[in-house]
Amino acid sequence: MSDVSILKEPWPRLDVQRDGSLFGLWVFLASELLFFGALFLTYAVCRIQNPEGFLLAARETNVVFGALNTAILMTSSLTIAVASYAAAEGDKALRPVMMRCFAITVMLAVAFLVVKGFEYAEDIEKHLVPGPDFALEERGAELFFALYWTITGVHGIHLLIGIGLIVRLWLLARMNQLTLEKNPEVEAATLYWHLVDIVWIFVFPLLYLSGRAL
Amino acid sequence: MTGDAYREELRHGNGLRHVFRRNAAIWAAMLALLLLSLGIAYVPLGAMNTPIALCIAMVMAGLVAGMFMELSGSRWLRGFTAFSGVVFVLVMFGLTLADVLTREGGWTGLAPIAP
Repeated sequence: MSDVSILKEPWPRLDVQRDGSLFGLWVFLASELLFFGALFLTYAVCRIQNPEGFLLAARETNVVFGALNTAILMTSSLTIAVASYAAAEGDKALRPVMMRCFAITVMLAVAFLVVKGFEYAEDIEKHLVPGPDFALEERGAELFFALYWTITGVHGIHLLIGIGLIVRLWLLARMNQLTLEKNPEVEAATLYWHLVDIVWIFVFPLLYLSGRAL
Repeated sequence: MTGDAYREELRHGNGLRHVFRRNAAIWAAMLALLLLSLGIAYVPLGAMNTPIALCIAMVMAGLVAGMFMELSGSRWLRGFTAFSGVVFVLVMFGLTLADVLTREGGWTGLAPIAP
């Protein structure tokens, strides 16, 4: 397929299209920063008001699962960065590398969700779900876990969306319905993926590392 | 053609191997920072534990944004957009904490309920 199929209205040239798409993507990512920022701010306010409760509650999260998931997501950022490079180079010889790296990225993200599933199951068994059966009595512990479920849940939904984006690109390329080489859609999906990684990089210390030194 | 310094550099080098090595080095640095933050979390540093963990997180995020997301060396408008997102998050934090931290009853007091 030629470059013509990638160039879309209203862009006059590919490089201008790339600049425009990346700028637009970054405006969206800035809005996502505010979205998660609001969640982190809620965490900050509740923690300021309930310091002991938060630290004691944070000890109940599974730091092994959390650290493992952080490493998994970081590795997926590595593989998607390589895939994005392979796409940008436009060299057909790099296509197997690109497709394989996209596949590994998705598999790592699924692994993240599987670990999360085990973690959620353990949390439910330990009665760490806010409600009448909540296990901890300190003021603020239930608030911590309300935030834990909300933040990790919303992050998981974002990860699912990212998986959907990459799977779509992979399938369309597989069926030769979309040229991934030099396609701004690939860079856009990659940037979104890195943002999901960045969000988790901040989630990890706030939800998993707090209170460990008590 | 692309106008981005990093992409231009790749064109002249041994592309794929260079990209693997560069990105793997960044990944290794992030893994080291992850292990560091894990280790420090168990050292009793009082109130400093969380700020230190967040600083390490900021370095890791900076590596992802600057290197994986190719903000460093790219056109200024993208970096400016990312920066303005951060600025608005700081404004949000600043305005909210200006309320919460100056409430009567102190930080840990619950807000008084109006009669």
